[in-house]
Amino acid sequence: MISLTEELTLLAVEDDGRIAYTAGSPNFAMALVGACIIDLNNAGRVDADLAALNVLSTEPTGLAAQDRVLELLGAGPSQTTERWVLELQADAPALIRMTLGQLQQRGILHLTEKRFLWALHTRRYPIDDGGKEQKEAKLRILAALLSEGLPTPHDSILIGLAVAGGLLEAYLSKSEIARLAERIDEIGGLDLVVRGVESAIRSDAEVRAHAIMLSIH
Amino acid sequence: MNITNDTDNKTTTIHVAGRLDFEAAGAFQKEIESAVAAAAAAGNALIIDCAGLEYVSSAGLRVFLVGARAAKGGSVPFAVYALTAAVKEVFEVSGFGRIIDVLNDRAGALEKVGRTA
Repeated sequence: MISLTEELTLLAVEDDGRIAYTAGSPNFAMALVGACIIDLNNAGRVDADLAALNVLSTEPTGLAAQDRVLELLGAGPSQTTERWVLELQADAPALIRMTLGQLQQRGILHLTEKRFLWALHTRRYPIDDGGKEQKEAKLRILAALLSEGLPTPHDSILIGLAVAGGLLEAYLSKSEIARLAERIDEIGGLDLVVRGVESAIRSDAEVRAHAIMLSIH
Repeated sequence: MNITNDTDNKTTTIHVAGRLDFEAAGAFQKEIESAVAAAAAAGNALIIDCAGLEYVSSAGLRVFLVGARAAKGGSVPFAVYALTAAVKEVFEVSGFGRIIDVLNDRAGALEKVGRTA
């Protein structure tokens, strides 16, 4: 079974192997950091409450991205999940590269590098397993949203992070998202770490908006 | 963490006390899954008494969702009650109040699951 971080990253890989532009956004960066923290929580390395994200063990998990986050958490101060997500978003590009590497090792996708007009360098990650893992993740999200039952914690978290990271728009139309908004709000992100990611995204947007306002005046 | 349970008037009550963190989450999940299975087989309701629960972390919180999901799947009426202020705040922030019936006291929980006090 792949990790939550790998699943979320896989959702950002388009049919032609391109990484969606969304993956370059601050919101996706923070959702990805949240996924790493939740993987670490499930592995018993960290636990979160409203006051702090607590490191329980710094023993590596064997997953590069999650272990990089664990290393940073272990070396830093005790602070809220929101604060950690805001700080670690700068590491997201490296975390995405590490996660894509993990997915390559598992044989789920591979890297192709091309040159366009002899100069522009492009990287793509075509999916190799017939898209099984990616399809399963998408189907689980849709099944949870369209059913009336309660989701598993994993699926609730995946929905919450996909929404926070702006990934849902990649395979659901705006009208479908609007139609499902109430259900998304009800079952998505029933988790303290996801709520920390959402708070971080709101804080980050406020800081950016404030900076723009200052530059206007 | 301390977990006990009793059954009376077609209702199983799990009493949970102490700290529900990563370390305690596994034992609580086993208890809740086993209680849901037994309640489903006997046609009982399941309520969780949180009066002694002082602390819940992200890992502990997920177990409530596991329990509520299993109860819904097994058609077992399910509610939690008597949340301390700290646990109530965690339920509110995480959105659990929208998917799980949270009552102030035992009488309210029994009424919610269709039993009389």
